[in-house]
Amino acid sequence: MSPSFTAPYMLREMALAAIRTSRLTKDYGSHRGLFDLDLQVSPQEVFGYLGPNGSGKTTTIRLLMGMIRPTGGSAYIFGLDCVRESVEVKRKVGYLPGDVPQFGSLRGGEIVAYLGGMRGGVDKAAVRRLAERFDLDLSRRFREYSTGNKQKLAILLAFMHRPDLLILDEPTSGLDPLNQQEFYTLLREARDDGATIFLSSHVLSEVERVCDRVGIVRAGTLVRVAQLDDLRSDGSASLEQIFLSYFSEQKPKALNP
Amino acid sequence: MSSLLLALRLGRWGIAGFAALGFISTLVQTLAFYTIAGQTLAQQAAFGATIGTLATHFTAVLPPPIRPETVGGYVEWRGFHALGLIFGVWALASATGMSRVDEERGVIEAALATGASRIELIAARIVAFTIGALLASLAAVAGFVAGVLAHHDTLSSIGVLEELLLLAVLAFCCYSIALFVAQVSSPRTATAAAGIVLLTLFLVNSLSRTFPSLDTVGRLSPFRYYDLNQPLPPGGTFDARSVVVLLAITLLATGAAAAAFARRDLGASLLKVPGLPHATRYDASSAPWWRLPVVRDLYDGRVALIAWTAGMAVLAVVFVSLTKTTIQPLLAVPALLPYFGAIVHGDIFPAVLGFVWFSFAQLLFAGFAITQVARWAADDTDGRLEIVLSQPRSRAGVVVERFVTLAVGAAVVAAVSGVAVFYASRSQGIDLNQQHVIAASLMLVPFALIFASAGAVVTAWQPRAAVGLLGAIAFASYLDTEVGPFLKFPLWVQELSAFRLFGTPLSTGVDGRSLAIMLLIATALIGSSILVMQRRDVGA
Repeated sequence: MSPSFTAPYMLREMALAAIRTSRLTKDYGSHRGLFDLDLQVSPQEVFGYLGPNGSGKTTTIRLLMGMIRPTGGSAYIFGLDCVRESVEVKRKVGYLPGDVPQFGSLRGGEIVAYLGGMRGGVDKAAVRRLAERFDLDLSRRFREYSTGNKQKLAILLAFMHRPDLLILDEPTSGLDPLNQQEFYTLLREARDDGATIFLSSHVLSEVERVCDRVGIVRAGTLVRVAQLDDLRSDGSASLEQIFLSYFSEQKPKALNP
Repeated sequence: MSSLLLALRLGRWGIAGFAALGFISTLVQTLAFYTIAGQTLAQQAAFGATIGTLATHFTAVLPPPIRPETVGGYVEWRGFHALGLIFGVWALASATGMSRVDEERGVIEAALATGASRIELIAARIVAFTIGALLASLAAVAGFVAGVLAHHDTLSSIGVLEELLLLAVLAFCCYSIALFVAQVSSPRTATAAAGIVLLTLFLVNSLSRTFPSLDTVGRLSPFRYYDLNQPLPPGGTFDARSVVVLLAITLLATGAAAAAFARRDLGASLLKVPGLPHATRYDASSAPWWRLPVVRDLYDGRVALIAWTAGMAVLAVVFVSLTKTTIQPLLAVPALLPYFGAIVHGDIFPAVLGFVWFSFAQLLFAGFAITQVARWAADDTDGRLEIVLSQPRSRAGVVVERFVTLAVGAAVVAAVSGVAVFYASRSQGIDLNQQHVIAASLMLVPFALIFASAGAVVTAWQPRAAVGLLGAIAFASYLDTEVGPFLKFPLWVQELSAFRLFGTPLSTGVDGRSLAIMLLIATALIGSSILVMQRRDVGA
């Protein structure tokens, strides 16, 4: 492949992909971090990112969001460099962090207006629809919210501007089953509206239910990427069995503390 | 035992920081005494007389010294009485941190879930703070002892032990009062409520020195019983009854705090205000300020800004009143007129007011900057910075907006306090130069920016240690200007101190060169903080 062919080819691929990483690395030392991640997520795809605690899921997400700097490699969102063009990237992204930020005594509606104001304003109708769906009272102060209500607010903040890409770090954490169902419906609607979704989780049933494709990360290394349909057509195993097969050496530890 | 170890661990940085501060503060003041007081008895007597006169300007803050011509008398006045106030601030932060920060973060809930009783938990915190207060007080007297021994001078070991006891008991007393107030107020208002109570207790005591009508109220203040003692100078005072009263207040407040903690709900106050009927709302706030950079952050911090503005204005009025009340009788003493003539050029009232009020205002503005930096650090540790940076905003933009918000806030506080000084002076018959009042008040803005920009660099580098490190920087800057000339620091080192660069703008106007250096330092530090922010990991 000649260089003259490679560059335009790569550019076109990058432009096509919602997310594309190339040898993306964040090395914290002592073999901790994320190493040589090559990943591509297509537009309108729901990609599940699986792995046990500390495997590198949140590190990947923070690298994509430009919160942390890679020690090697590169990451692009819709062809935009996640480091150099992070402001443009974030115009297209809705982000739900793994830990809900603490807003103290601000009211829910003020938090929405505060962060929405940084995007030039709030789509009030969209906010109202989302708040009603999750029965989230926006007149309450943040510190009065239960864990589940804080998570609902974080979901609202990620979805309220109808982003092209949703990056969600364990989005159903703290939600009751009814609200989990509502969230899955919302996710499908967002995908049908054209959004791409990248969600990390360790709830396998959730990933099986909503994702088109999954990636499994172990100790900072992506060990498998597969279509869920392909996995099912293997006839062999549930996602849980496949997942556990990658972590068989960890399982006895977990079962025998 | 595990509760006590946990409490000690949670408070370890406070203990280490205030112990270091106590040690350095008293050591430097002791060494400064030997440098500036002179070698002969006559020189020291003259020095003591000067300090005695100077002390009259500060009666609103510190009690008059006993035998300031001796190292014990001088360090008692300059070092230990100021430390009493500083340890009070530590006690406030430590006591309200338990009910506010630790409860909000679930530390208390987790500790109670282990089976520890509430009484055991609060007792562990109290004992841990008492141990910390004793260690920090020990470090403070050790600084004094080290300074004295380094000059082969003599000291009273009984006086040193009495000082150690006094300082620790005062800190413990402030802690117990703040702890009680934190139980009966909501977590959101705990720090402010306890701070207002302690500040009021401090002020009623210090103002009762000038206004005898406040004497009865002043008896309620623990600071009064601390001030009754000055055990370090030869022939100094130690009133055992006042220590007993301090301990009695402490035990009463501690018992009340423990009883309140045992009865209240976690995350709530003992005294509950019935809530109003509440209607569910699903709408975002439509207030226009949320869309406006800077304005939204000013609105978010409006309660603190209003408190700072009102507090500074009230203090400004109090200081103006004290200036007239304090100086007027002194002017009637013929022996003091040559002294005033030697150190004051021009009208005496503006000169004294400029010296006393703006010296105090500088400390308050350094505190204002530190509270803003604490907020930035909390933005980082509480995840707010991460969610803000997930919006389409550059990191540089976030830093710049923070500084503009701080500068506007500082300008509001400075302007209102300047107006208060001007009109209070006018009502007292003190003729101030209007231009100088405006200039001096506005000089407080770049002054605050210097500390804030230093804090921004530290926050971007190490957010969890930002407040402590900035406090150390502010303290070093203050010491630089206080003892730098006596210890013959190089001029460029002395000029790094924001306190020195501020100068005396009320009496001599703004020094353009100093203002330029202040702005240069602030700009360099803001630029550095942007660079560090650009390169650092957030939320990692």
